[in-house]
Amino acid sequence: MMDVLHWDGTLSAKDFRIGAFAFAQKWESCNLAFPPWSWLPCPKHPWLAPPKEEGYLSLEKICISRPNEEEDIDQISQIDTGEEETCCSGNEDVLDDATLVQSNHHELHYCDFQIVYSSTFRVPVLYFRAYCSDGRPLPLDEIEKELPACSSKELSKKKWTFITQEEHPYLKRPWYKLHPCGTAEWMKLLFLSDNANPKFEVVLELYLLSWFSVVGQVFGLRLSFKISD
Amino acid sequence: MAKQGSGSILQFAPLQSSVDEGFWHRLSSLKLNKFGIDDSPIPISGFYAPCSHPQVSNHLTLLAESLPSDSNDESTMPPVIRGNRNRCSVPGILYNTNTMEGFHALYKQGLLKAEAMKIWEDIHSGKAVEDCAVLSRVLLISFADLKKWNFHYWFAFPALALDPSATLVDLRPASQWFTLEEAESVSAACNEWRNSSVTADVPFFLVSIDSDSHAAVKHLKDLEACQRDGQKLLFAFYDPCHLPNNPGWPLRNFLALISARWNLKTVRFLCYRENRGFADLNLSLVGEALITVQQGWREQQCVPNAVGWELNKGRKVPRCINLAKSMDPTRLAISAADLNLKLMRWRALPSLNLEILFSLKCLLLGAGTLGCQVARMLMAWGVRKITLLDNGRVAMSNPLRQSLYTLDDCLNGGDFKATAAVRSLQRIFPAVEAEGIVMAIPMPGHPVSSQEEKSVLEDCKRLNDLIDSHDVIFLLTDTRESRWLPTLLFANSNKITITAALGFDSFLVMRHGPGPFNSIPNLKAETENSLAAGMDNLALTNTDGQHRLGCYFCNDVVAPTDSTSNRTLDQQCTVTRPGLAPIASALAVELLVGILHHPNGIFAEAEIANSSSGGNFELPLGILPHQIRGSLPHFQQMTLLGHSSNSCTACCSTVVSEYRKRGMQFILQAINHPTYLEDVTGLTELMRSANSFQLDWDDDIEVADDECVEL
Repeated sequence: MMDVLHWDGTLSAKDFRIGAFAFAQKWESCNLAFPPWSWLPCPKHPWLAPPKEEGYLSLEKICISRPNEEEDIDQISQIDTGEEETCCSGNEDVLDDATLVQSNHHELHYCDFQIVYSSTFRVPVLYFRAYCSDGRPLPLDEIEKELPACSSKELSKKKWTFITQEEHPYLKRPWYKLHPCGTAEWMKLLFLSDNANPKFEVVLELYLLSWFSVVGQVFGLRLSFKISD
Repeated sequence: MAKQGSGSILQFAPLQSSVDEGFWHRLSSLKLNKFGIDDSPIPISGFYAPCSHPQVSNHLTLLAESLPSDSNDESTMPPVIRGNRNRCSVPGILYNTNTMEGFHALYKQGLLKAEAMKIWEDIHSGKAVEDCAVLSRVLLISFADLKKWNFHYWFAFPALALDPSATLVDLRPASQWFTLEEAESVSAACNEWRNSSVTADVPFFLVSIDSDSHAAVKHLKDLEACQRDGQKLLFAFYDPCHLPNNPGWPLRNFLALISARWNLKTVRFLCYRENRGFADLNLSLVGEALITVQQGWREQQCVPNAVGWELNKGRKVPRCINLAKSMDPTRLAISAADLNLKLMRWRALPSLNLEILFSLKCLLLGAGTLGCQVARMLMAWGVRKITLLDNGRVAMSNPLRQSLYTLDDCLNGGDFKATAAVRSLQRIFPAVEAEGIVMAIPMPGHPVSSQEEKSVLEDCKRLNDLIDSHDVIFLLTDTRESRWLPTLLFANSNKITITAALGFDSFLVMRHGPGPFNSIPNLKAETENSLAAGMDNLALTNTDGQHRLGCYFCNDVVAPTDSTSNRTLDQQCTVTRPGLAPIASALAVELLVGILHHPNGIFAEAEIANSSSGGNFELPLGILPHQIRGSLPHFQQMTLLGHSSNSCTACCSTVVSEYRKRGMQFILQAINHPTYLEDVTGLTELMRSANSFQLDWDDDIEVADDECVEL
């Protein structure tokens, strides 16, 4: 039974799992605007001992934008347009009157989020990546355009909003993440600034909620319920 | 909104593709590790789900899992995909070519027809009724350029064209077609179908409604039974499209099946769409289509025409996506290196100026123990433009102490150090812009014959050009004489020069002060106080030179000339304790970074480390000393200050102005006549008068504010 006053703001892997489930449950019940988080187990390696139920939370395909029609991030045009002439010769399509021709090409941007436990820092880390509706990944500077205006200020100011691109620990592809090295400090502050002296079990249950209420602000994901109770 | 029976042609909304980045990663991995140049078609699976949003259609998606596994222990079998409610799997095929020309040369109509044929055969054999997922297929052609990480691709969703096309009799939201009771029952039945893991990914089904308004969802194979019961029957399918006036693409092949297999002319269909995981009968559509194909169309041997190539923003061209940022190892190495430095700035040194480091051009004279280490340290600080100059070859003893070389560089007489060093740097960090120059530095007191004069002059000129084209020069050679010409050339320009020199167990790292004739533009911006302090002493024509920081040779002049106590610097030391070079090199680079962050740059005054400075520094990187001397036997290191000497053979005003007046002739004279420099500077005279004193020198150098001795 840990004393919160002497707590350093971090979580053990087991506590992370407990906290993650509590978070996902609360999210699903209160946050109807968004789909629920799924818990995905970490991929198993045949040559390692089976992990003790390690996993991470995943939230996919959150629409983060509705850009106007003029915006046409056209990566196709940068490749030689000579393609247009060469590829269509001799390959005429059958004339088809049953295909609807759509003039409107709305490009929407989506974001996938993951909450992964970092055993080095012993805190949760928010990983994210963004892409267009056809799957094309979006670079960070384009993602930042979609973020709420207040948060781009936060990004440059606050110490906990340092975004880095690193290889995802399980998926082995570059994802962006909010760097976790300040997390323990401000998590501790978050709980200690409350005058009440909470029991550690309560801290554990609310850990991810509190954590997400801070980091989610970067994306304008506000939780629609009060954390303290 | 109802579309009344005007007999208009039923138009289907085309499927749209979405390719997750992971698909391309896995394809690249398969291509590089398993397939090589084998371009046989690859079985793939696409995924789609019913529309779940009133304003956005669902796409047909390819993920990493769409491809066979790329791990070595599994064979290249088509992936056995067990779908779930969000992933109805669509069998498909990928033709990935080895060249761009191959990509364009693919006979697209032929490939499309082949896939359509498979659907047609499945319709006639009955397989489509048993396993209706085969009614939809995906065809993908691609060319993966794994040098530039460009992926060119083109999707087709094969659809059998009815001839003539079906006409639309009616289309309206499902909630307007069913009665309230029916709607409730249909919703419940569909939700149940969607929630059962057995049927969740079965995308085509029947909805039958009995006279009690009770709805039931049935598999396609139960059609005959449903028809016998004479109940209301709808042909339902998962519709990814959201549009209110058009059904989605999967209906095309469904109608082909219905016509060819059961010869129905009038088809009532349900476009099943959802919202938040539940059936949404406002979004879903119920329609009636009229099929009027000729008799011959239904014959198996008469394959209908196939359509379905995806348009790219309305044009019939392939798509292309570039993934260099997330796949090119060099790019990834660059962003990792940048990340490291940025983290340093973010967490510890907010005033770190990374841009200046990235753009800095460094010239390293000497690619030996010091040169190799300095180059590595520079790269670690983010410096990308490094030039190494050395005329030697890698010898067998070198790899142990010269950290850029390995045994391979020593073979066959040994590669030139300059070229081997550049190769090594590129292996460590491919984005480095490194250049190697094989050249000897002309040295004073080493006379040259008249035949060699021309090439020596060229070398001098080349050295001058090199110094001009770089921002920082490191003097890392192993002889004292070889440092002379660069020092002089530097004193004539405004470049940062850093010297590192090794004795057996001691080292010196110093930054040269500015030359005698340099004006100080930055100081004009400073406050009056510092101006008063600094300007007086740094006048344009400097006769005194006392307060200008010294160069390597100034040091020589003012340090005691007694050879026994001065063994550390003057001799050609080829034997040193191995720990020295890394220490000295590291300090040299850290000193450089300090200079770059000092507002006065090379004009910065020297600071001495002392215990009273504690942890508070004016500048975030700490003090900026003039010289650092270290002694390994004492594990001691001290910061010292040495002013310039107006008799310095390299940087005093006499010498520099002689050089400015006579250029290469002056240099040649210095090279050819051993005592010329001493004569010019009056040093000869000085030495004569100095030797007439008996002086008592301490062996150890005490930590003192002012190390220089004025003669």
